[in-house]
Amino acid sequence: MLASRGEKVFVGVITGLLILLSVVALVPLVSVISTSLSSKSAVDMNLVTLWPKQFTLDSWKYIVDRPDLWKSFFLTLSTTVIGTVLALLMTALFAYPLSKPEFRWGSVIMMAVVVAMIFKAPIIPYFLTVRGIGLYDNPLVLVIPHILNPFNLIIMRTFFKQFSKELEEAAFLEGCGYFRMLFQFVLPLSKAVLATLALFYGVVLWNQFQHPLLFLQDTNWFPLQIKIRQFITDDSVIMAGASSTMSLNYNERTLRAATVIFAIVPIVVVYPFLQKYFVKGAMIGSVKG
Amino acid sequence: MKSIASHQMKLYWPLYVMAIPGIIFLIVFKFIPLAGAVIAFKDYSVFQGFIDSPWVGFKHFETLLQHPDFLNVFSNTLLLGLFKLTIVFPVPVLLALMINEIRKSALKKGIQTALYIPHFLSWVIVGGILFDFFSLSGMFNIILGWFGAEPVLAMQESAYFRPIYVLASIWKDAGWGTVVYMAAISAIDPQLYESAMIDGASRIRQIRHITFPILLPTVLVLFLLDIGNFLDLGFDQVYNLLTPMTYNVGDILDTYVFRTGIQQGQYSFATAVGLFQSVIGFIMVYTFNKLSNKVSDGGLW
Amino acid sequence: MSFKKVGLFLAASALAVTAVTGCNGNENNSAGNANANQNQASNGDQVVDIEVWGTNIGYQPVTKGSKLYEFYKEKLGVGVINPYVEWNGGTNYLNQLNLKIAANEMPDLFVPQQGLEDSLAKNGAIVDLTELLPKYAPNVWKAIPEDIWKVVKANDPTGQGRIYYIPNVVEYGRYAGLIRQDWLDKLGLKMPKTQDEYVKVLEAFRDKDPNGNGQKDEIPTGGREQVRWMDHLFAMYGVAMFEGYPDWDIYDGKLTYSAVTPNMRAALEFIAKLYKEGLIDKESVLNSKDKWEGKIQSNKVGNYFHWVEQGNLVFENLYKNTGVKAEFSVLPVPEVAGYKGFYTMKKFASPLWVVKNNKDQEKLMATLKLLNNVYDKKNWKDLFLGVEGMHYTMKDGKAIKLPDDKSTQENQILNPATSISTLDLTIDLFNSTVSEDSKWAIDQVTRNMKEAQKYAKVIAGDGMPASVYDGFPDINNRTLYAEYAAKIIIGQYPISKFDEFVEKWNKSGGEEVTKRAREWYSKVQQ
Repeated sequence: MLASRGEKVFVGVITGLLILLSVVALVPLVSVISTSLSSKSAVDMNLVTLWPKQFTLDSWKYIVDRPDLWKSFFLTLSTTVIGTVLALLMTALFAYPLSKPEFRWGSVIMMAVVVAMIFKAPIIPYFLTVRGIGLYDNPLVLVIPHILNPFNLIIMRTFFKQFSKELEEAAFLEGCGYFRMLFQFVLPLSKAVLATLALFYGVVLWNQFQHPLLFLQDTNWFPLQIKIRQFITDDSVIMAGASSTMSLNYNERTLRAATVIFAIVPIVVVYPFLQKYFVKGAMIGSVKG
Repeated sequence: MKSIASHQMKLYWPLYVMAIPGIIFLIVFKFIPLAGAVIAFKDYSVFQGFIDSPWVGFKHFETLLQHPDFLNVFSNTLLLGLFKLTIVFPVPVLLALMINEIRKSALKKGIQTALYIPHFLSWVIVGGILFDFFSLSGMFNIILGWFGAEPVLAMQESAYFRPIYVLASIWKDAGWGTVVYMAAISAIDPQLYESAMIDGASRIRQIRHITFPILLPTVLVLFLLDIGNFLDLGFDQVYNLLTPMTYNVGDILDTYVFRTGIQQGQYSFATAVGLFQSVIGFIMVYTFNKLSNKVSDGGLW
Repeated sequence: MSFKKVGLFLAASALAVTAVTGCNGNENNSAGNANANQNQASNGDQVVDIEVWGTNIGYQPVTKGSKLYEFYKEKLGVGVINPYVEWNGGTNYLNQLNLKIAANEMPDLFVPQQGLEDSLAKNGAIVDLTELLPKYAPNVWKAIPEDIWKVVKANDPTGQGRIYYIPNVVEYGRYAGLIRQDWLDKLGLKMPKTQDEYVKVLEAFRDKDPNGNGQKDEIPTGGREQVRWMDHLFAMYGVAMFEGYPDWDIYDGKLTYSAVTPNMRAALEFIAKLYKEGLIDKESVLNSKDKWEGKIQSNKVGNYFHWVEQGNLVFENLYKNTGVKAEFSVLPVPEVAGYKGFYTMKKFASPLWVVKNNKDQEKLMATLKLLNNVYDKKNWKDLFLGVEGMHYTMKDGKAIKLPDDKSTQENQILNPATSISTLDLTIDLFNSTVSEDSKWAIDQVTRNMKEAQKYAKVIAGDGMPASVYDGFPDINNRTLYAEYAAKIIIGQYPISKFDEFVEKWNKSGGEEVTKRAREWYSKVQQ
C-alpha cells in the first residue's frame, strides 16, 4: 500500500469520527439495557442512567418465562421470513419491466406507483377492502399486505436501471428470454440490492403492529410488537383497589425495557449477515457519463 | 399503429406478464382503498356509509384553511420539512462515503451496525430517552454544569425544539439511511479504483470522481421520494417530543389532525388534511421529476 | 412458478373485493356467521354469548371457554366475549370501534368514546333504555341515583329526554392533595390551614431537610406534564378542575369554564410564584407519570395530588425503596381570602355502557340480563375479585388480590367497583382483601379516603356531555389552556398574558361552547 501520510491522517480522522458517532448512537441502547437489568427500586427512584443499578435478572426471567411471548416471537420470525421472500419476488418481478425502456406502460405505472406511495388511503376503506378479500382474522394479513412497497420497488428499479447493458445484450444474443434473463443473470448479480430490500421488508414485517391490530381478533396470531405495546403504551387508566406489588423486583419500566431489547435483538443481528452481500455483489454497474 | 403495438406485445410479452401481479397488488391494496378518499368531500358517517353520506364539497378544506392556527401550523410543518430535506437528508450520503473509506472490514461492519441500531427504537422510547437526557439530572445539564452554566430545561423551551427535532432525526435514522447507499457503493467495479490509484488519484479525488457519481442516481431518486412526503413529517416523532410549551413551534399538520380529526373519529376531516398534504407532495415530486429529467436521465418516469 | 400462484391469488382477491365492496350496505356478512355459531349454543337452552367492548390496558382477552368467561357465565348467566382491543388513550379503541360499526359488526355492549354515543343514538344504532331498564334490569335502575338519571335524560342527543346509556358513577370524592404528616411532625409544624401557612410549610420542606439525608433534595410539591396532577394548587382558588382539565362550575352566577375565570388567573399567578421560589418541582410541567411517581417514591416529595385510594401503591413502593414507612394525610384545602376552595368531585364520570340496537331479541335480552346481574350488589365483591388463582388468591381464609400481571390475567371488563363506586363499598373491598403486610398502608388510605370527603364538592358541570365541544376539538383538548398555563407557571409568560388567552379562547370557539354549556345546564336545572 502506498498511502501517503495525508491520506493516513484523512482515514484516521474519519475513523475516529465514526467511532465517536457509533458511541453516541449506542448510548441510549445501553441505558435501555441497563434499565432492564436493574431492580424495581432503582428504576423507580430514577437512579438508572447508563449502568445497571442493583443488578437483577428478574425482568428477564419474567420475559423469558412467558410462553405467549415466545409463541409470538416464532410467529413473527416465520411471517418475517416468508413475507420477505415473497416480497423480494414480487418486487423484482415488477421492478424489472419498469426498468426497461421497451416496456411501454412504464412511465404511466411509475407515476401510479409514486401516487400510491404519496397518497395514503383512509383507514375505513382500507379496512373494508382488506376485509373484503378475506383477510380479516386471517393470519395471511401478516404477510400479504406487505409484499410490495412502492418505495422499495422504486429503489430496485433504480438499481436495475444501472445494470450493465452489454451483459444483457450478450445474453439476449444467446437466445435468453426476459424471465431467464431476470432469474439467471440479473438477480444473482443484484445481491446487494436484494440484501438491502430484504432488510427493508424484513424490518417492516418484524415491526408491524398496525395490520394485526386492525385485522386480527384471535390473540393466537398476535405478533411480537403487539405484545410489546401492551407494556409500552403508558395508559394511565387507574384501577381501584390495585394490589400490592411489594414482593416483585420488576415493574412496568424494567419490563418495558426488557421487551424492547427482546424484540430488537433478532433484527439487529441480521444486518451483519446481510452485509457480506454488499461486498461480494460488487460486480455489476457500469459508470455512466 | 395496431401492428406496431401487436409487434411490441409479441416480442415483449414477458415484461407485461411480470408486471401483472404488481399491478393487481397496487389496485387492490392501494387504489381501491384510495377511492375511499372521496370522503374528504363528504360528511362521512360510519352509519351511512360511503355512498349515502352527504356531499359537502370543499367544506373540510375550508375548515382547515380557515382555522385560526392554520398559518402557524402550516409554517411549522414547512419549516421542519425544509430542515429535513436540507439538513437531515444529506447526512446518510456523507456517512456512507465516510464509512466506505474504512478498509478494515470488521471495524466497518461494527460501525455500520452501531449506527443503524437507533432506527429500531420506537419514537416513544426515544422520546422518553430525550426527556431524560434534557432533564435536570440528565447528561445535558451535567455537561452544562461542567462549564458553570445554569441548567436549562430544553424540552420546555421553544428555541430548542427545532434543533432537537433535527438532531433526533439524524441520530435515529441517518445510520439506517446509509444502508441503500452502501449497497449502491458496493456495486462499483473495484477496477475503477485500481486504475484511479495507478493514475495517482487521491482518496478525495476518488470520492469525487468515482464514488459520488455512481451514488448520484440513487441519491436523486431518494431525494425525489423524500420530497413526496415533504409535509408528512411523521406523527410519532413530533408527538413524542412535543410539550404544551413548544406548541408554537412544534404543532404540525400531523399533530393537529391527530387532535382534531383522528382522536375525535372525524374521518372526513382527517382525510381532507391527508389529501392536502399528498397533493402538495405530488406536485413537488412532479416538478422536481421534470427538472431532473432535464438535467439527467435519473427521473422517476 | 410461484409467482403465478401469487398472481392467481391476487386476481381472485381482486374479484372478491369488487364483490364485497359492492354490497356494503348489506348487513350480516360475517356477522351472520358469528350469530349462527352462537345461536347454536343458545338453542339447547344454553347461555347466550355477547360481545363486550371496553377499556383494556393490556390484559388478556376474555374468549369463549376461558377462565373468566366461565366465571362470568356462572355468576351472571351470560357468556361474555371481550376481544383484545388496544386502548392507547382511547384513540385506537375509538378507531377500531368505528371500523367495526362500518363493517356492520357493532359489539352488543360497549363503552362509547369521545361522545360517540351521540351519533349512535341519532342513527338508531343503540337501544333506547328508558323502558327496558326498569323492566329487565331493575338492579341497574336502582343502583344509579335518580338525579343522575335526570342528567342522562337531559343529555339525550335526540332531545327527547330518553336514556341511551348507563353512566359511570362515583359517589364520593376520589381526589385530594396528600401531604407528608411525618415530615410535618418532624419539623414541629401544624397542618396548614391557610395559604400563608401552606407556603410556610412548603418553605420548611424545601429548607429544613425533612427526609433527613443531609441533602437539599426535597421537592415541596409539584405536578406532571400537560399541567396535570397539581389540582391541589388550583383548588384553593375554587377552580373546578378534573385531573388537570379545567371544568365547568358556577362563577359569577353563571356556568363558566374555570380556565377563563379570575379564579384561574389568581391560581396561576400563585403557582408561578411558587415555581420561581423553588417551592414546586422545577420539572413540574415535564414530569412523566414514571418520573413524578419516582420522585414521590424516593422520599423526596412533601405534597402531591392524586387518587386517594391509590395511595397504598405509593406508600408501599416508598417503603420498599427507602425503608421509610411514610405517613400521608389529606391536605385540607388551604384558605385564601376571597375564594372558596374545594377539591373537585364529579359523580358522573362518563358514559359507560351503551347497548346495541339488536335485531336479535335473544341477544338484547341476554345483554340486559347481564347488566342486571352485574349491578346486583351481591355480585360486586366477586366481580371485583375475579378468578381465583388468576386475579386473587386465598390466604388465611381471606381473598387477597394478586399483583397486576398482564400476561396471565384476563381483562376484568365488568367491575362495579370501578363503575358504580361508593365510599363504603370501596373501603369494604380494601379492608376485606388486604394482606397483613399491606395493612399499614391500606389503613392510611381508608382513613384519608374518609377525610377527603370533607373537602369534596360536586361541580355544576358534572355530567356535561362531550357534544358541547362538537366542532371545537382544541377547546375540548384544552390545547390553548395547557400552553398558556404552562408558560405562565414556568415564567415564560407574565401573568398579564392570561387576558390574551381568555380572548383567544373565546374567539376560537369558547363563546359558542359556553353558550351550549349554559343551554345544557338550564335543561338539567329544570
